[in-house]
Amino acid sequence: MRGALRFLRDGKVRDVLWQVAATIGMIAVVAFFVRNASENMVKAGIASGFSFLWRDSGIEVPFNITGYKPSDSILGLLWTGIVNTLLVSIAAIVVATAIGFSVGLLRLSRNWLLSTLAGFYIEFVRNIPLLFFVLFWYFGVLAALPTPRDSMSFLDVAFLNRRGLSVAMPNDVTGFRIALLATLILIAIQIVLARWAKARQARTGQAFPTWTAGFVICGLLPLLAFVAAGMTTSWDLPVLRGFNYRGGFVLVPEFVALFAALSTYTAGFIAEVVRGGILSVRRGQIDAARALGLSPGRIIRLVMIPQAMPVIIPPITSQYLNLVKNSSFGAAIAYPEVVAVFMGSALVSTGQAIEIIAITLAIYLVLSLAVSAFMNWYNSRHRLVTR
Amino acid sequence: MKIIGFAALAVLIAGSAVAQQLAPSPTLDAVKARGHIECGVHLGLPGFSFANDKGEWSGLDVDYCKALAAAVLGDSTKVKYTPTSVQQRWPVLTSGQVDLLARNTTITFSRNATLGVNFQGINFYEGQTFVVRTKAKVAAVKDLADGTICVAAGSTEEKAAADWFRERNLKVTIINFQKNDDAISAYDQERCDAYTAGVGALAGQRIKFKDPAQHQILTEVISNDPQGPTTRWGDERWQLVVRWVLNAQIAAEALGVTSKNVDEMKKSTNAEVRRLLGVDGKFGDMMGISNDWAYNLIKQVGNYGESFERTVGMGSVLKLKRGQNELWTKGGLLFTPPFQ
Repeated sequence: MRGALRFLRDGKVRDVLWQVAATIGMIAVVAFFVRNASENMVKAGIASGFSFLWRDSGIEVPFNITGYKPSDSILGLLWTGIVNTLLVSIAAIVVATAIGFSVGLLRLSRNWLLSTLAGFYIEFVRNIPLLFFVLFWYFGVLAALPTPRDSMSFLDVAFLNRRGLSVAMPNDVTGFRIALLATLILIAIQIVLARWAKARQARTGQAFPTWTAGFVICGLLPLLAFVAAGMTTSWDLPVLRGFNYRGGFVLVPEFVALFAALSTYTAGFIAEVVRGGILSVRRGQIDAARALGLSPGRIIRLVMIPQAMPVIIPPITSQYLNLVKNSSFGAAIAYPEVVAVFMGSALVSTGQAIEIIAITLAIYLVLSLAVSAFMNWYNSRHRLVTR
Repeated sequence: MKIIGFAALAVLIAGSAVAQQLAPSPTLDAVKARGHIECGVHLGLPGFSFANDKGEWSGLDVDYCKALAAAVLGDSTKVKYTPTSVQQRWPVLTSGQVDLLARNTTITFSRNATLGVNFQGINFYEGQTFVVRTKAKVAAVKDLADGTICVAAGSTEEKAAADWFRERNLKVTIINFQKNDDAISAYDQERCDAYTAGVGALAGQRIKFKDPAQHQILTEVISNDPQGPTTRWGDERWQLVVRWVLNAQIAAEALGVTSKNVDEMKKSTNAEVRRLLGVDGKFGDMMGISNDWAYNLIKQVGNYGESFERTVGMGSVLKLKRGQNELWTKGGLLFTPPFQ
């Protein structure tokens, strides 16, 4: 008895016990709600369970790179939605970062016109609701493009109109696969070369033209490989049939509008983060770099950005997370991302709201955690080593 | 002690013999306590449920809600309208936020079997068709092959259009919008070659185009989409009221009772008219509402035909013909079981 009391008085043991109790409590609460919900649904005559995922979907998805057909299951539809969400998110993250960094740097420029324009852009973008921005881009893009009959033609292999950008596709992709593989290998070689050049410069002081060499290895050689691949295959050319161009790959205006809206919108926020990060670099560092005679470009690249990064990365991570979540605005303009196809079409055709919303929540949770994990890893790699 | 027990039992039996014993109806009780009906309608579909700039609702489905309010509460204005999108409508109904849906909702097997909803009759026989630009020179639906079609996601039209073209091995691109209005404006911006919806719905939505004269509604119909008031599962007595209010609208037209002659018709010798108007039979008591329920709804809202002409028929901007929505005695499909 006394032994048990002493055991309970141990702080560590008590901590563990509290945590176990809290966990059991949480599970009990969740179990209560799940049970309650499913009982009520049975009473109300609403179907429940996850078997609907294997039912035929019958829903058309106008833009997919997964090869999905309406005769596939709802699980296939969900996968197509996830892939489309990832596609637009990743593309927009890359471009938003590029625009954001540029605008953030311009905002700090000593040129009055440039910094005022950048400031105007940032304030404009940050004070507009995103939904409005998405719709503005969508109907703006549509209104700016010609109808299919008066399409803009690019050398008769690509056509731009209100139905999207139709691009010729190769019928045989093996050549392109080889060219892509060759490009990846060449990039790896380029990285090794850059390391060697850096080490040599540190050892001997002699510079090596890494950029020129890199351009030849990673720019020209793969280009030749792609040209060779293109020459050896036949092409599926878009042709005007009836209303639309058929054949080839179609980049739909919904994608373009959502991508443009997300990247320009998030860029405004990233620009402010970048500006804050750079302002956090102490003035003396820049003065010292200037005193050493470094060019302005090198001061930014070698002194300012590396020291600003630890300040920039955590808030930029949350901007990336926002962007991934904001991609759900695609539902408003019929871009078939996960919310539109799964929480829209699939939910209405099956009526299984609780299951579908739970799955969608889980998907966004996984996506967000993945982005966070990657950014944390990147941050720990680039942490400033202070002496 | 025993005597008191017997006396209590006797009082109970006597009491139940006097008052009509009714199954419990939480929805009807709630409506009476609240003093108005919560009616789930469309976001805005001219002719069916549409709010004008003063916020006054009108339309065929709205008239049904008014008729229900007149029957249950004696006053057709005691309705609160909840606009619902294609996606929202089911949860709004099954969670109890509205007492019923009257919003151009197509009756289908899987909705009835899996969504926990019941369909209480048909107040509009709709058929799906397409609207195209006149300059596109489309005469029949099959001419839309290789075209792009805008549609509201999760509607019956989305699946019906996909099925129709797939069955015929024709390729079309279908773009799903969350709201009807977004699909319409995308079509108007020439994102699509056609927009698809029911004939009645299109007649109303056509008004929303920038230049309605440049658009043409195809006469070919690819589906049959019966629509009517919808309730959630459970509460059979409420379902009974919802069903028979619609039947009363149709029966009134069949029996020649209109909002204008309803007072004289009370003196009619026709037995069914007398039962309908509550002169004989006490039908209201059987449902737990007042006996002049049908009188009130005919007096205040009118019979089905009056309602149709005013909202979607020749007296409206839609100018739809009765067609299938004519009484069975006149070659249409509208039918009601007898008031007996």
